[in-house]
Amino acid sequence: MVSSRDSALLRKDTRSRGQKLSASDRESILRPYLPEPSELQRRPLGRRKKSTIRKTPIRTFLKSQVHLLVYTLIHLFFGIAVRLLQTYHAVLDRIFALVYYHHRTPELIRKDVKNLDRLPEHLSVILSLRKEEDALAVLMDEVAELVAWTASAGIPVLSIYEKTGLLKSCIPLLHEIITAKLSSYYGSPTQQPTLRLFAPHHSIYQPEEGPSKPSADKSNNDTVTVLLLSATDGRETFVDLTKTLAEMSQNGKLSPEDITMELVDAEISEITTHPSEPTIRSSIHDREDSDSDVPLKSEPDLLLVFGPLLKLDGYPPWHVRLTEMFCTGDNSNNMNGSGGSVEYQGFLRGLWHFAGAQMRFGR
Amino acid sequence: MSTSMHLNRLRKWFLASPPIEFAISRIRELLVGAIKQGPVPRHIAFVMDGNRRFARTHGIETVEGHNLGFEALARILEVCYRSGVKVVTIYAFSIENFKRSKFEVDALMEMARVKLAQMAQHGEILDRYGAKVRVLGRLDLLRPDVLAAVNQAVDMTSNNGDCVLNICFPYTSRDEITGAVRDTVAEYSKPLRSIGSPPPGSRTPFSESHIALNIRAQSQNTKGEDTNSDLDSTSESSTQGEDGPAPRRDTSKVYESGSSFSSSTTLHLGANPDGSNMKTVAAGKLMYPSPETITRQTLTSHLFTKDCPPLDLLIRTSGVERLSDFMLWQCHEETEIVFLDVLWPEFDLWHFLPVLLGWQRRVSNMRKNPDAEGNFDGTPEISEEDTDKSR
Repeated sequence: MVSSRDSALLRKDTRSRGQKLSASDRESILRPYLPEPSELQRRPLGRRKKSTIRKTPIRTFLKSQVHLLVYTLIHLFFGIAVRLLQTYHAVLDRIFALVYYHHRTPELIRKDVKNLDRLPEHLSVILSLRKEEDALAVLMDEVAELVAWTASAGIPVLSIYEKTGLLKSCIPLLHEIITAKLSSYYGSPTQQPTLRLFAPHHSIYQPEEGPSKPSADKSNNDTVTVLLLSATDGRETFVDLTKTLAEMSQNGKLSPEDITMELVDAEISEITTHPSEPTIRSSIHDREDSDSDVPLKSEPDLLLVFGPLLKLDGYPPWHVRLTEMFCTGDNSNNMNGSGGSVEYQGFLRGLWHFAGAQMRFGR
Repeated sequence: MSTSMHLNRLRKWFLASPPIEFAISRIRELLVGAIKQGPVPRHIAFVMDGNRRFARTHGIETVEGHNLGFEALARILEVCYRSGVKVVTIYAFSIENFKRSKFEVDALMEMARVKLAQMAQHGEILDRYGAKVRVLGRLDLLRPDVLAAVNQAVDMTSNNGDCVLNICFPYTSRDEITGAVRDTVAEYSKPLRSIGSPPPGSRTPFSESHIALNIRAQSQNTKGEDTNSDLDSTSESSTQGEDGPAPRRDTSKVYESGSSFSSSTTLHLGANPDGSNMKTVAAGKLMYPSPETITRQTLTSHLFTKDCPPLDLLIRTSGVERLSDFMLWQCHEETEIVFLDVLWPEFDLWHFLPVLLGWQRRVSNMRKNPDAEGNFDGTPEISEEDTDKSR
């Protein structure tokens, strides 16, 4: 640590734009703070090791023992502190979970977010697959719950990131589960919000059983768009884009100078904002109602991580540029599951945090 | 009000008195030495946020705030390098920051120039301690005199190797990624030699004509144009292999191949093993390296941070909880992101210590039982660290 006298000297020098002190003056100020060169040089070169540092073997040994002791002690106390903090948060979480419960009522959820100054337009959630046997079922149920809460809170877009991409392979089943969950929240299909479920390179899924789009007698005009993301939409997408661009460049269709940030942005955003058209036949039919669709916001406003620490875990990098991130913290104190469980209070805390509000006890 | 001011003064006086100062610096040394005993992150990134707000709340000029921020940086760098961190990356200036007031931009540039020039005067010390300075970003946006200082400092330290300080100077991550894509494309567009054979069909999740359209329009294209361009894109990609679905295909088919698509894309990490490495265009034309050999590693090796170890820890101060276009590519996998509610000029070992301890705790836990939470693909960086330590 630099003593206050020396730092005052250096500050004065900075203010005069480095004119006041000469190079040797500064060096003489610095010299006492520099570590012994011998202390550092043992690392890069192994040969020099023996000759230089064996001057004070006992002192070095004692020093390292003291450091080891301090290290152990610090970690002991730190561990205790962390455990206490975890317990405190776990208790707090339970209380919140009791106070704020959705009771499967969209009105209640809307009331919880009513006073917030701002809501994200695009919410993104990182979920992780657990290791139990029914992991997929649990995951799908979590997704369905999240969709229901998001729709109830009035957030139009929800993207779900799950690393392995397992969800993408069972979209029809997922659609069914979400619809069932929505009906347990909203009641009959006419009162449910319209669900658009898709993944990059996939079209919007529509169940086959009959025309389930009663647009005339639909009393709920909300739409919730659910986007499924996986690790392949991250770096792999850039690899694919680069491959295509390289091929084009090799064929002389484009020069590398044409690759601008706008182009990359347009291409990368395309994937997550525009579901691919189902088929050529139905695309004509589809265009009529897809015209009315507002283009999706490709950059999420809020990213919720249900887990003990904030790790993006392969989340598509391009879009998180300005995304606010919120980690619900370690609420799985029992140490058996990977990743925290998805709870309504965590979801709500994220929204409150996003709006810059504090959570209160009592509604 | 006045009592608190007096108390504050007293506190400052007390802390600045020589014996206390000595004791604190001893304690710091002890703590840093203690941290060194455990696993230490090899690469830490800092977003130095809060200088302006610090200046505003303390009633000093913005420029002064930046100066204090520089002092905080010096403190933290000392802690990092002494405790064994190899690479520190700092976000000094974003490309977006050029939009700030000219006065502030000029002051920041001046500060950078002065500091870098001063550093260059102490070349001998830097050589002795093996510190290496690199400036990442769009150097072409800098003023000539600043650029000269940057080049001088970078050149002088380029042969040192132990500790690295990456200064992201006019930098945004999107710009970096775009640059990596561009450089990769440029590299793959250099012909190898001229032999001929027809181009093999390849997986193109991005339609070429679409990209061409985007270049022309640089904006959201309308649906009508989209279907027009579809025709030639489908005819082009009709020879596609089974491993990749075309972007526009029958829905049900895409669903079926959904899983195989994702697995095939994730598994092709290494370079293709055999003759498909070389791609040739039409007969008698030039021969190019096959774009199919582009992997995530290819792109990573074209980033500014190509020879740095993976980012272990990213710390942002001032309580703003977003990345603001910093290290997007580097930090979106295994990096632990920490947002601290402290302004950068106040940031010191005492705020940094809990973060480091938490990291050490998790890493040592992970090492004890590698199957536990959060550890997905056996952290390779830890094993390397082990060998580091045993040396």
